[in-house]
Amino acid sequence: MKLELGKILIQDVQFGAKTEVVDRTLFVNKEEIIELVLEDDRLIGADVELARPGESVRIAPVKDVIEPRVKVTGGGVLFPGMINKVEQVGSGRTHALVGATVITCGRIVGFQEGLIDMSGPAAKYCPFSETNNVVLVIEPADNLETHDYETAGRLAGLKVAAYIGEAGKNIEPDEVVVYETKPLLEQALQYPDLPKIGYVHMLQSQGLLHDTYYYGVDAKQLVPTFMYPTEIMDGAIVSGNCVAPCDKVTTFHHLNNPIIEDLFARHGKDLNFMGVVLTNENVFLADKDRSSDMTAKLCEFFGFEGVIISEEGYGNPDTDLMMNCQKVSQKGIKVVLITDEFPGRDGKSQSLADTVDEADALVSCGNGNVIINFPPMEKVIGTLDFVETMIGGYEGSLKPDGSIEAELQIVIASTIANGYNKLAARGH
Amino acid sequence: MNKLIVTNNSLVFEKYCNHCGVIYLKDVGYLDVLYAVRDRIHQSYVLLTHPLAGSLKPNQTPYKSIIITRGEAGVDTDSVVLIENSIAAAQKFLRDRNTPSWSEKILGDFRTVDLSLIENAMQKRSFN
Repeated sequence: MKLELGKILIQDVQFGAKTEVVDRTLFVNKEEIIELVLEDDRLIGADVELARPGESVRIAPVKDVIEPRVKVTGGGVLFPGMINKVEQVGSGRTHALVGATVITCGRIVGFQEGLIDMSGPAAKYCPFSETNNVVLVIEPADNLETHDYETAGRLAGLKVAAYIGEAGKNIEPDEVVVYETKPLLEQALQYPDLPKIGYVHMLQSQGLLHDTYYYGVDAKQLVPTFMYPTEIMDGAIVSGNCVAPCDKVTTFHHLNNPIIEDLFARHGKDLNFMGVVLTNENVFLADKDRSSDMTAKLCEFFGFEGVIISEEGYGNPDTDLMMNCQKVSQKGIKVVLITDEFPGRDGKSQSLADTVDEADALVSCGNGNVIINFPPMEKVIGTLDFVETMIGGYEGSLKPDGSIEAELQIVIASTIANGYNKLAARGH
Repeated sequence: MNKLIVTNNSLVFEKYCNHCGVIYLKDVGYLDVLYAVRDRIHQSYVLLTHPLAGSLKPNQTPYKSIIITRGEAGVDTDSVVLIENSIAAAQKFLRDRNTPSWSEKILGDFRTVDLSLIENAMQKRSFN
């Protein structure tokens, strides 16, 4: 499968009469966006605000972040099975508005999700302090059941990102990157002397606010399967997870998976990137047995000599991570894990909830328990009402002057376990 | 296979008390549910769901629901290791900071999410 990704660089976002891109500025029509969102009668209110890098703006509570993209050629449309019909994606040409995002914001439950600061000390922990963000603040109908509100909010974000993405369809991109993975046997023959490397991508799949979707299928219902890496770039995987801010994989992070990006960068040079095995993180222990057995089986069958495994979440998913690590290793395949850690404030406790002897190579994405202080922002998009109940926050976190003292895990994607951040750990 | 739910969540008790066994530990904390499950594992019960299900940390949510089932005679070592690791992880979080006293509205939200985490497991009809 071969995909040309045309990157249209966006350096500013403004409201305008027409949603379009002109000279690297994205203009969005506020009324059209609100009208689009309110087509879903589960939502009774919507507003759109803009947040740009360097502004004194805090966004909270954040649900999802999505990069606007559009299919130009190649069949299928963005986010198949979610807001569009189910059709194979990952080929042809796709345009992305790089430097722009859609952020959904609004309460679903009293405790979840985190914040984004566009400037100040917390900004460096989050990639969205450097993007031009169209923030969608949504309000549910009275007494809307939580599952319905989560669905409505999720779909609203995807619809708006797809709507804005259309503005990039006929724009000449600033850069075109070509990604290609051939069918298995051809791919193996293309670089016969390079090590065959696979990526095991674990998807969050535990329940309400803890779900992920693959072509619209709830990941709880999946058995491990193969995915061409380019499918993820067209929105084949979408986030329904919004509980722990720091290691939540937003839809943006699925579209821009850094492990896939980096493996392609080295593809044909010092490794042969063979493809992706998708698996899940179910709560039912027998599902873990099944999924880890099948993941190891697929890795062996595809001839992987080395595998990177990433997870989403902490606790329950750590058991899946270790089962996958152990069973893939026992097939004689080298395994490297990548994840974030929760070793306590002093960093001295066990980092993960589970471990196996085979887990001897791990890249850390940082410690989510570290306390940070950040000052008040002039403007708040959304509300700070829930800061103290967000994961990482606590009673007294939100000071009277609007400054915040909280664990790093309150910042969106600060320790995200696929490595799309700037934190690491080094041994001395 | 007979499922037995150990929980301190009233929503879980109300939903499943007529479907299967439910040990409803009223007004106890997250760790107490883990301890109760550990005690039963030493009485030959086996874990069916992961004790740390959900991204809500042990010092965040007060609710925990775990499904177990009667095993063979003796003690299932996998279950012992898993529950002990889970207890250690929970104690680590609670050592840093205790679970706050939440408003009733937020407690309701925590109960809803906790229920959701075992619903998928409860739908499974066969022993797999």
